[in-house]
Amino acid sequence: MARINQGGAPMASPEHDSGQLPHFVRSFGWGVVAWLPVIILLVAWEVVARSGTVTPFMLPTLTRVFERMGSELVSGELPIAVGLTLWRALAGFVIAAVLGIALGLAMARNRFFYWFFDPIISVGFPIPKIAFLPILVLWLGFFDLSKITMIAFNTIFPVVTATIVGVYSVEKEIIWSARNLGTSERGMLWEILLPAAMPQIFTGLQVALPIALIVGVLTEMAMGGYGVGGSMQTASRMADSLGVFAGIFEIAVVGYVMVKLMAMLRRHLLRWHQESQEPTTV
Amino acid sequence: MDSAVLDRAAAGGAQAANAQIVIDRLSHTYRPAHGRPVLAIDDVSLTVGRREFLALLGPSGCGKSTLLYQLGGFLPTETGTITVDGKKVQGPGPDRGIVFQHFALFPWKTVRANVMYGLQRMSLPKAEQERRAQEFIDLVGLSGFEDSYPSQLSGGMKQRCAIARTLAIDPEILLMDEPFGALDAQTRHLMQTELLAIWNRSPKTVIFVTHDVQEAVYLAQRVAVMSARPGRIKAIIDLDFDRRDPHLTKSKAFVDKVDEIWELVRGEAIKAQAGKA
Amino acid sequence: MRSGPAFAAGLFRYLPIVFLLLLWHMASTFHLVSTAVLPPLSSVLSSGYDLVSTAEFWDNTGSSMYRGGMGLLLAIVIGGALGIAMAWWKPIRYVSSPLVEIFYPLPKSALIPITALWLGFGDASKILLIFLGCMLPVTIGAFNGARGAEQTLIWSARSLGASRWRTLLDVVVPSALPELLNGARTALALSFILLVSSEMIVARKGLGYLIGFLGDGGNYDAMFAVVLVVAALGFFADRVYLAFARRVLRWRE
Repeated sequence: MARINQGGAPMASPEHDSGQLPHFVRSFGWGVVAWLPVIILLVAWEVVARSGTVTPFMLPTLTRVFERMGSELVSGELPIAVGLTLWRALAGFVIAAVLGIALGLAMARNRFFYWFFDPIISVGFPIPKIAFLPILVLWLGFFDLSKITMIAFNTIFPVVTATIVGVYSVEKEIIWSARNLGTSERGMLWEILLPAAMPQIFTGLQVALPIALIVGVLTEMAMGGYGVGGSMQTASRMADSLGVFAGIFEIAVVGYVMVKLMAMLRRHLLRWHQESQEPTTV
Repeated sequence: MDSAVLDRAAAGGAQAANAQIVIDRLSHTYRPAHGRPVLAIDDVSLTVGRREFLALLGPSGCGKSTLLYQLGGFLPTETGTITVDGKKVQGPGPDRGIVFQHFALFPWKTVRANVMYGLQRMSLPKAEQERRAQEFIDLVGLSGFEDSYPSQLSGGMKQRCAIARTLAIDPEILLMDEPFGALDAQTRHLMQTELLAIWNRSPKTVIFVTHDVQEAVYLAQRVAVMSARPGRIKAIIDLDFDRRDPHLTKSKAFVDKVDEIWELVRGEAIKAQAGKA
Repeated sequence: MRSGPAFAAGLFRYLPIVFLLLLWHMASTFHLVSTAVLPPLSSVLSSGYDLVSTAEFWDNTGSSMYRGGMGLLLAIVIGGALGIAMAWWKPIRYVSSPLVEIFYPLPKSALIPITALWLGFGDASKILLIFLGCMLPVTIGAFNGARGAEQTLIWSARSLGASRWRTLLDVVVPSALPELLNGARTALALSFILLVSSEMIVARKGLGYLIGFLGDGGNYDAMFAVVLVVAALGFFADRVYLAFARRVLRWRE
């Protein structure tokens, strides 16, 4: 998660951050203790669901949700749904990443590109592009093509703006030194600008990936078809609340793993970059 | 008035009778969130007289700021005690005003609102608050900038504003944490002269943390030299220069004193550097 | 008053948008694409004009604005307060941060069927959805901002005689504001996405529902018009928000 557990940040609280927990907690059980609130939440869920204060329709017991996920896993429904959702989200994300970085670079380096695309990007970024979904369906049909296009359409904006900001924030001295050392125009792009802008670009990608998942799930819900969003919507229509809750768990795990993978990739790719902070995103 | 200042300066060493701040066998261990605990201050005892100007001099990382923060009540005392006017320091309070190296102005408040902040915490009539804020804004030479935000001021002006904010609540003790360390050389010199002028007009107890030997000798009646980590008091030097002399800093006595103290500090600075590597 | 050159510069800046609209119009009027899939701009505008004179349109717009506004307000107030509280009180931080960490990467759209399951198809389920979906970006912004509050500012306030509560209000909250407002902007964009899509998927009312309803009925001119209205609403909401944030943070310039 974005910067929330990083030590060493200046403290807002006048309390001191160390030396207050018993020593054994810090050395051994810290991992478990830190996650205690999550465990308590899950136990509370089970207790409330079993107590009968809410109907099983509103809140099925955790054990039954897990049983459902287990049977979907065995029947193959779960891997297919997760695989399809991931495929569309990642396909849209990769298209947006490649086009977005290319467009961002072109805009940062070329005045005509900048003039032409700047208003389109600045108007397009804040508008709720999901509203265009029925239009895309009209043009591209109900299947993967329209879904992936919708995902790419939503995710390209943060990538473009991050790339432009990244290139603009490359220090003049670095560019001048590179010129001075005889770097060609092409070398400037691949060896200087792109790597120097990479922390910002990666931040844009880290903002874009969760959007890809959100929109991916939305397109499945709105247009049907297989996938986690699709099966949640079907379950919801059939008043099958177990299916809805199983879907929430599945997509939560997918989202969590994706966000963590991106953070790991960032730490690996940007080892040289000191702060390497995770961005605030959706 | 000037002779009174000189008398106090002459009395430099012997304030036990009118001691205001008593630091007794103070130690402090810094415990970072990750890594091993570090002994920052080791068994420091120090007495500061009422209306004395004391400089705490030492290499960076010697714990002199930590000592100041404990005096301010921002950090808890673990081993040893600090008393001010016979009362143990328990937490921050308006009797001890502080000026930080990086100004610590509220960036969302104008100069006037910054200076007013402490006054608003006291139960003063609004008109009186405004009158006093203006008085101190004028004193530090910020007239005309009352409605500017800190981001619109130069470093020297920011520090003037911070000093006005602290002086406005009329603390008995002024804690200064390398207040001129972030300023350029010319501004620093100007601010030093002005600080002395302000102190001469209304003397307060000043504890002035710095790593600049010349600054310490120029400003203080007494200089406490601290050793490299763990911080201890290595020497206390009494000074009795006539600060009204415009050629003071070029006089032989002054230069010799700076050299003498610099010799004391140099060894510690080298140790501090080696400790970092 | 806008001066001539500034107006011309603005016009020049947005010329590419005019160009795109022109391209759209020409593509359909010269039958480069079928008018069935891309109605001419002129007919979209005229059916849009007809639409805005119906009570039905305003009813749906009002309903969407109410849901979005309420959900977002709750998200910003509660989410912001939670983030600041997490930064200021360690027990709250220890309890909340693992929960925030778990729920933060959840694709928020997955909440649509859950909120419908709990509260049905009406306003309450949309408000809950937007509140839950938009809260965490604000919380994290507020948390990071409050935690980044400079120690010396807090100490200054304390030594100037401020109580802990006053210090929280006078120092920590303003310090948190820039990042909190940044998170709120993300929340604003997200609220539009969740609002419109949930209305398209499960609703009987609202602009998202209207888009789906007109599309299903084959009334594409009007559907395009509503899509443009939603896009414009999102755009202007963002600009109004930016102007507001700039005013609140004017001390930073």
